[in-house]
Amino acid sequence: MARNEHPRNRVDLLQGTLDMLVLQTLRWKPQHGYGIGQAIRAGSDDFFQIETGSLYPALHRLEKRGWIESQWRTSEHNQRAKYYQLTAEGQKQLTHEHSRWNEMSAAISRLMNPANNEGQTS
Amino acid sequence: MRWPWFSREPREQEFDEEIQAHFAMAVRDRIERGESPEAAEQAARREFGNRTRIHEITREVWRWNWLDRIWQDVRYGLRMMRRAPAFTAVAVLSLALGIGANTAIFSLINTLMLRLLPVREPEQLVELLHQFPNEPRLNADFDAYLHLRDNNQVLSGLIAASRPHSSQVSVEDSETESIDAQYISGSYFEVLGVQPAIGRLIGPADDSETADPVAVVSWSYWQSRFNLDPAIVGTQIRFRDSPVTIVGVTQPEFFGIPPPALAQIWVPLSTDVLIGGAATSHGMAMIGRLKPGVSLDQAKAELSTLYFQTFDQAKLKTDYYLSRLKFDLEPARASPTLLRDRFARPLLFVMAVVGLLLLIACTNVASMLLARGAAREREMALRVALGAGKIRLLRQMLTESLLLSTAGTLIGAGLAYFGAGALVRIIASGRMIGLPRALEIPVEPDSRVLLFTTGVALLTGVLFGLVPALRAMSAAPASSLRAAGKGVETRFGRLFGNSLVVSQVALSVLLLSAAGLFLHHLSNLRDGLGFEQNNLLLLRLDPEGSGYEAEELSNASRQLLDRLETIPGVRSAAFSGMTPISGAGWSQHVNVEGYQDKPGERRYLSLNAVSPGYFETYGTPLLAGRNFTFQDYGGPRVAVINQTMARFYFGDGNPIGKRFTIEGDEEPYDIVGVAGDAKYIDPQEPTLKTIYLPRLRGSNFTLRTDAAPAAIVGEVRRAVSDVLKGVKIDRVTTMADQVDAAMVPERLTALLSVVFGALGSLLAAIGLYGLLAYTVARRSNEIGIRMALGATRGDATRMILWDALRMVAAGLVLGIPIALWSKRFAASVMEDLPIGNPAPIALGATAMVVVALLAAYLPARRAASVDPIVALRHE
Repeated sequence: MARNEHPRNRVDLLQGTLDMLVLQTLRWKPQHGYGIGQAIRAGSDDFFQIETGSLYPALHRLEKRGWIESQWRTSEHNQRAKYYQLTAEGQKQLTHEHSRWNEMSAAISRLMNPANNEGQTS
Repeated sequence: MRWPWFSREPREQEFDEEIQAHFAMAVRDRIERGESPEAAEQAARREFGNRTRIHEITREVWRWNWLDRIWQDVRYGLRMMRRAPAFTAVAVLSLALGIGANTAIFSLINTLMLRLLPVREPEQLVELLHQFPNEPRLNADFDAYLHLRDNNQVLSGLIAASRPHSSQVSVEDSETESIDAQYISGSYFEVLGVQPAIGRLIGPADDSETADPVAVVSWSYWQSRFNLDPAIVGTQIRFRDSPVTIVGVTQPEFFGIPPPALAQIWVPLSTDVLIGGAATSHGMAMIGRLKPGVSLDQAKAELSTLYFQTFDQAKLKTDYYLSRLKFDLEPARASPTLLRDRFARPLLFVMAVVGLLLLIACTNVASMLLARGAAREREMALRVALGAGKIRLLRQMLTESLLLSTAGTLIGAGLAYFGAGALVRIIASGRMIGLPRALEIPVEPDSRVLLFTTGVALLTGVLFGLVPALRAMSAAPASSLRAAGKGVETRFGRLFGNSLVVSQVALSVLLLSAAGLFLHHLSNLRDGLGFEQNNLLLLRLDPEGSGYEAEELSNASRQLLDRLETIPGVRSAAFSGMTPISGAGWSQHVNVEGYQDKPGERRYLSLNAVSPGYFETYGTPLLAGRNFTFQDYGGPRVAVINQTMARFYFGDGNPIGKRFTIEGDEEPYDIVGVAGDAKYIDPQEPTLKTIYLPRLRGSNFTLRTDAAPAAIVGEVRRAVSDVLKGVKIDRVTTMADQVDAAMVPERLTALLSVVFGALGSLLAAIGLYGLLAYTVARRSNEIGIRMALGATRGDATRMILWDALRMVAAGLVLGIPIALWSKRFAASVMEDLPIGNPAPIALGATAMVVVALLAAYLPARRAASVDPIVALRHE
């Protein structure tokens, strides 16, 4: 379908992981869609380049679930944009997902690196 | 929660703005990083990906259910329909005709055959019938009623009810009027479980000769005659000249059983006994309620045994006919068995016909959709290229076809409502075998009809929409985008389109030949009556209560006959005991001298008492011997017989001077003349062996008129009141109406098959036209090239006509064998169909060729007028 110009885009995030990353990005301050995309990209050293086609559905999905809420504001460059911010509900969800993520990644590491245990998990 | 479709537009706008902002920020970032504005924008756009798709997926997030998605498809579909109004109109109309016809016929079947009786647990009710070999089933003999009722272990109740019978009623001192009365056994309402609207209903205690005479009236009579006045309870009226008290009124939906008996008043059978047993002679239906847990077969076995106990046991063994009599039990949960027997087959035929019609309509719309689908291929390819999911496209296409079928259904239901009304009027103009009264049938759409129509609509929508939808789904964007508009068409598309038209032609041939067959059958019946049915006025008197003695009446009848013949416009007048095709007859056992009956031979012969003018008036020829003269009346016993009887008893010999006796009367009759054959009770039956006797008994007059009989009705009424004072006129009608009433199923089948056959070929013509028009449009390049290379306009025309004829020919090759086979099938179900005649099929085939050429004319003209220069430049 769409031409594949950003191979790393194709890294398929685990189901729900993008939602968690978005929530994580919004932890400290409200941000607009573009900003969120850039933050994830910068925060992952350009590893994740979130497609617009994935980002916006995710944002709207989170908003619909009541984990984030939105508000129109003017950006630093005088650009009107829609800012998303975490709700209390969203904060709880993030904590929950974060701990689950930790458990899961530890479990996966153990499975993937059976020889060198404990010490190696950074 | 917000309702998405209320907030749809603002949300869309908001999202647009959000995306726009995103895009602006992305470009800005790139410029800040040092890219040129153009390069930045291009890169951002590329990065952005498919905007519509993003839009769609994001919107999907807010969709709160499937209804919403469907709504969007529907709106899009409606827009497509508006954009092609001609296409939409033709498609919707085709479907409306098909679906309307099916709904109308089904609601008729529903009413006549499926609808339940408005009584308690109708599925327990059974009707008691019996059947002699080769005869229709009839009501079981009422003489067995008491024996059956009192001795059976399988029924919780057995009731008897007369056919509704016109009776004179007067309320207070007002003029008498005729209303339909049903004579019922005392337990009638109790066994049926019917409740009164007011007052009480007739109970077993009322059905006794010592009880006070009572009556119950219907809601509709209460409404029309008493304005729903509750004081009706206790009112005394005169019923056939004796006083009865109205004790109650039935619920509005109860009209009496077995339907379509529309009784207005119910009286106990004991009343009938008091007034001379007139009603029971009109036939009694017996209906039982099975005990819970008793099966139909069980009940049938026991009741059959009981039934035959009531017959003369010796005769039961020796009499050819009686020994072959079968007792039968029929569930009475729906409509009356006798009515169903009469109408079931014709209606099922018509149902098959309308089913075919719907199939034609579907093929039609499918081929139109397919042609349009080819035109829309570019659109589809574009949508796929823009990221529309395939399932999404399929859903969209199916939504569009379902929209078409829904619109068709709405219009069709309207058509059906009026259509069914008209059909019911035709049926209501008829009479049942052995019942000389008209029927009334209330047809109302109920849940079953609704369900049927909805089902048909869905089925048709999917049926004609699926293939075009699948085609659209498989549209390959690249090749389609390149090819669209350049007249390339897949082999599959062309073959499929052609085969749709071919099957339409085949189905139309089938319908047209069925129409021809049924028309031919109808005209055979009319021609085979044996008398001239037009310009005959029938007059029936009701001498009951007039005070005339039989002798007196006979003399007065002769005076009236003379008087009627003097009315201007009357060519001749006749008197008879029976009029032909009235549904009733007079038959007796006859012994012909010198003829030895073979065992099992039916000696029941039909008789009629006639005046000398009878044969002239009816236009039935005298083939040998002489007519009656008035000297024969009361003189030595003479008779005229019909040809069938003469041939049966005397072969080629001369019947004049031969003698016969009527059983129960040893004095013989001399045969003095032979008349031509004529149908007696029903047009459908074979000609009966008939004897005409010179007697002035009965009360039927027939007038042969010069012009339309209606014009002289006033004169006739005046003559009756002058000559026979105090004698009421029971009925004035025309023979044409009486014949029509006896041929309702045949008329109905013929009418409907002609109408639907014509509609079917019209639809096929539209289909063919559409395909050819499309072909010409598509091939105009090719035609242009051919013309540039020297082909003439005639060649182009011929090419298109040849296309049309090829498809028709293929349709005929397919359709004619099916028609031939169906004819044989039809004949196996319906007797006496004139299937030997090849004319209907030939006619249907010819009609299709003509229709096809007409449909091909315009496209062919258009092909001929293709301008090579324009066509080539277009390339």
